[in-house]
Amino acid sequence: MLREAFPCLHQQVNGKPLVYFDNAATAMRPQVVIDAVNDYYCHHNANIHRGVHCLSGRATDLYEQARGSLARLINAPSPDNLIFVRGCTEGVNLVAQTFVKERLQPGDEILISHLEHHSNIVPWQIVCQQTGAKLKIIPMNDQGELVLDNLDQLMTERTKFMSVVHVSNALGTINPVKELVQKAHAKNIPVLIDGAQATPHLKVDVQDIGCDFYTVSGHKMYGPTGSGVLYGKAAHLDAMPPYHGGGEMISKVTFEESIYNKVPAKFEAGTPNIAGGIGLGTAAEFIMEVGIEQIGAREADLRQYTEQALNGIEGLRIFGTAKHKSPVFSFNIDGIHPHDIGTIIDHYGVAIRTGHHCTMPIFQFFDVPGSCRASLAFYNTEQEVDILVESLNQAKAMFS
Amino acid sequence: MSDLNKLYKQQVLAHNKNPKNYGEPDHWSHHAEGLNAICGDQVHVYLTIVDDTIQTAHFAGDSCAISMASASMMTELISNKTIFEALHLFASFKQLMSAEGLPNAEQVLGPVACLVSVKKFPSRIKSALLCWYAMNAAINGQATATTE
Repeated sequence: MLREAFPCLHQQVNGKPLVYFDNAATAMRPQVVIDAVNDYYCHHNANIHRGVHCLSGRATDLYEQARGSLARLINAPSPDNLIFVRGCTEGVNLVAQTFVKERLQPGDEILISHLEHHSNIVPWQIVCQQTGAKLKIIPMNDQGELVLDNLDQLMTERTKFMSVVHVSNALGTINPVKELVQKAHAKNIPVLIDGAQATPHLKVDVQDIGCDFYTVSGHKMYGPTGSGVLYGKAAHLDAMPPYHGGGEMISKVTFEESIYNKVPAKFEAGTPNIAGGIGLGTAAEFIMEVGIEQIGAREADLRQYTEQALNGIEGLRIFGTAKHKSPVFSFNIDGIHPHDIGTIIDHYGVAIRTGHHCTMPIFQFFDVPGSCRASLAFYNTEQEVDILVESLNQAKAMFS
Repeated sequence: MSDLNKLYKQQVLAHNKNPKNYGEPDHWSHHAEGLNAICGDQVHVYLTIVDDTIQTAHFAGDSCAISMASASMMTELISNKTIFEALHLFASFKQLMSAEGLPNAEQVLGPVACLVSVKKFPSRIKSALLCWYAMNAAINGQATATTE
């Protein structure tokens, strides 16, 4: 069974079997990913792209193969469309500073949505402060779905960029990103899609979506922390200035000037997270081998089961009931603060996240300081959901 | 008794359910907001200080049970204490929550000493401390405090 592939799942916490429902914060890694990282350090440890010796060649090959695996995972036209970054946060900041900033005049607008993670809000606020541009927000409804009725009014001639999350980390909502990109492109607005929570759960095809940029987070998709890729259309990446200056991103340096390397090296200054990149490529291969359709089907069953189970608990309110959603459940129970629930159910071995999940505007909308969030992955089980429900009932009994 | 039952002991649950000195009073002289944004604890502390004595102490806000109980017990403890005494109690409570610990805790802190069980849950110590830092901020004329 696939669950066996994830060693960290098989342990006891507080004397109980671990129930890991914090996958939206970070997923578990399969043994093959851990082995790939270990294998690099044990057998191929060398810097990449610069040594003539055997190990450097091997390390470079592994790193570039990883880029190829990721390109196949998201159907990028070429591995050269992918820039290795530390994660989605760095990807968004890179685009904000090297693509969007120079296009902005005071009074111009950047369009984001109410569902964004702070990492897709703050980089745009920074660029707005730098340029005098303004942020505009696509609203959401009580179900946690984006309201697209007034999109035409929100996309004005001043709108210079749109950045929208594919799958909400807090509510699980899956946004209609292809439709959003089509509407934006009809008005010549380039689009970034934040895919942090998408690649672990859904088939992502960047060419079908049509977006200009797409960010992938490694540790959300069973890969190492501090790894990720930014996809960009070739014409954009070619035209953009570098983000960081340093080694690797140049082809020639004198004290008078530097000539930059070609894409993607132009954006990869300094020795990268080589082991992380190799591990991330292995995670992409793992997902393709298991099959994203199988993952999606299993998670759909788990989502339905969890929804029914949670709805059976009196006084429990689920935030985010979108028609299309990933297996993420934000909820509160009457009379018990999320923080207390998190502590109590941890005692029963259940790991969830409590708080605002780096999406404060979402919880301002629902007028609560935060929530409990159970986020599942395909390796979770119905029995684990039963343990969650039992532990929540214990919390209720304690506070009754 | 398990550590969990010690954390959520009856005193804590009772203070959480029926907190003492809860709600913004009509009159107060000093106020500060304690906010731990990441975990979602918020405690407003309102003091009426006359001639260096805290005549009344109230609190309001939306917090976890540990933070609510701590604030409820704190307001009872510091009422009618001088500022010097209140700040000394603050120092004692911090010591209770530290690795060092506080000898004779019940003698010094009274019922508040029961919160020593929070130390078994390191991620919750900041919840217990928040109201005390807010009280200290209010006395010192600062608007906000945090323990994150």
